[in-house]
Amino acid sequence: MDALLLLESAINGALVGLMYALVAMGIVLIYKSSSVPNLAQGSMTMLGAYVVLAFANNAGAPMWLAIPLGIVTMFFVGIGIERVALRRLAGRPIIMILMMTLGLEIFLRAGTMTIWGGTARPMPIGISDAPLFLGPLLINRAYAVGAAIAIVMFVLFVAFFRTRLGVVLRAISDDYTAAWSVGISVERGVALSWAMSAVMATIAGVLWSSVQGADQSLALLLLKGITVAVLGGMDSLGGALLASILLGVVEGVASSVLDPMIGGASRELVDAAMLILTIMIRPHGLFGRHDIERV
Amino acid sequence: MSEPIAASVLTLNNVEVVYDYVSLAIKGVSLDVPEGGMVALLGANGAGKSTTLKSISGLLAAERGEVRRGDVRFRGQAIGALMPQDRVRLGIAHVLEGRRVFEHLTPSENLIAASALHSRQDMSRNMEMVYSYFPRLHERRATPAGYLSGGEQQMLAIGRALMTQPKLLMLDEPSLGLAPFLVAEIFQILSRINREEGLSILLVEQNAIAALEIVSHGYLIESGRIVMHDSAEALKRNPDIQEFYLGGAENKNFRDIKHYRRRKRWLT
Repeated sequence: MDALLLLESAINGALVGLMYALVAMGIVLIYKSSSVPNLAQGSMTMLGAYVVLAFANNAGAPMWLAIPLGIVTMFFVGIGIERVALRRLAGRPIIMILMMTLGLEIFLRAGTMTIWGGTARPMPIGISDAPLFLGPLLINRAYAVGAAIAIVMFVLFVAFFRTRLGVVLRAISDDYTAAWSVGISVERGVALSWAMSAVMATIAGVLWSSVQGADQSLALLLLKGITVAVLGGMDSLGGALLASILLGVVEGVASSVLDPMIGGASRELVDAAMLILTIMIRPHGLFGRHDIERV
Repeated sequence: MSEPIAASVLTLNNVEVVYDYVSLAIKGVSLDVPEGGMVALLGANGAGKSTTLKSISGLLAAERGEVRRGDVRFRGQAIGALMPQDRVRLGIAHVLEGRRVFEHLTPSENLIAASALHSRQDMSRNMEMVYSYFPRLHERRATPAGYLSGGEQQMLAIGRALMTQPKLLMLDEPSLGLAPFLVAEIFQILSRINREEGLSILLVEQNAIAALEIVSHGYLIESGRIVMHDSAEALKRNPDIQEFYLGGAENKNFRDIKHYRRRKRWLT
């Protein structure tokens, strides 16, 4: 096997990985600010893409306007989800909340299909198909753009969690009751985290649709997002970023080596292996918080 | 028993709390904390002390509890319908049992998180005040709070409550699991805060000996009812309190101890 081809797979893999990070960071955002593992992030990504397309195709807005409109709409969708589905569950056992997010995943995916139908639609955001040349290597331009945006979002959110509001959200995720006891409006904090996550989902949805078209398979990004989030440690943005690159590179290299031999599907196998091994060997992921136990 | 007090910061009138619609946790608790005063609520495990505090701070809802009867007044205003954060805004701070610091945040972040209702200037002023009362927190301000010692965590929990600029500070068993010298230190600081900041304090304790040293008045709660109320001096002299809460009379000869205990006089 050609070393250059491997290197090319690795680099493109890393870029794809960073695009997974767009989904994973949405999951981390919610976990970091309310300790809820959000299984609805995949269908929120799908919904975000369709909302942008609705502004572009049905309302006729140009793409540069449709995307911010979609982001604002999804911000309020996120707030609505907290208000309707999650507020009554605050302080209840995590398994109930987890099942609620699973129900939301199914509901949002099916609802999106019902409204807009199942055929794949293009998302033209003006990234040319021509590859970038990095010396002898061919780099996918759309992946490169997605990866760059992922890094920008990462920097923004890391900065956000150092602000006063960010500290408040982290406090909520540590202990709801204690947060109430010092006057934190836990409900509003959780709503904000869902809103930010929905914004993140929209950005991920647009970028992924520009690569593969908008269809139901966008919801399957949940599996990549969850794998990356768990490997990174669920509440660590830096962990998610690093884990996404790791997963992308392993996926890219493994699929270019294995696919010709076993006939496809090696990407999914790599994901599954990563998720299962993380849980078995290092349940708190690369940089996740341990539950602190003092002796 | 108690002479009428001019200004009360907190008045509970016949408060009854029910969990899960059926189980009656407190059955008609009435108490009164004077403005700037320091009052203890004493009682054994499960007597209803924590429930009483939660009915004041509004934290019952998360545990499916509700105030079924009676009213809670803060500076004359009925607060029964307010959300917890609105009660904090009025000036009620509740230091939870078992400290409950934000473990993954540093002490300074804990204090920042607790000033969600205040401006940045207020926050830095309050932080300075907290660090001056608890210099040890300042030394450890960058360590995750989960790694602090029990005493330091209790100081942090109190400091965090002070960040909300309360008028009434309620503490739920601050002595729990702490060495006696630490209990003494923390209680000393509490009475300093009471004196210097004019803060009213409602102290819930099982450790009656330590609590009665610093408060002016005490209420005794048993099985969800207030069974006694008097000045701290009178409570310390009361033979029943001595026997059941202060560890018995000192001149008791263990050979003479009967196999049954004397019946509490207020149980009829």
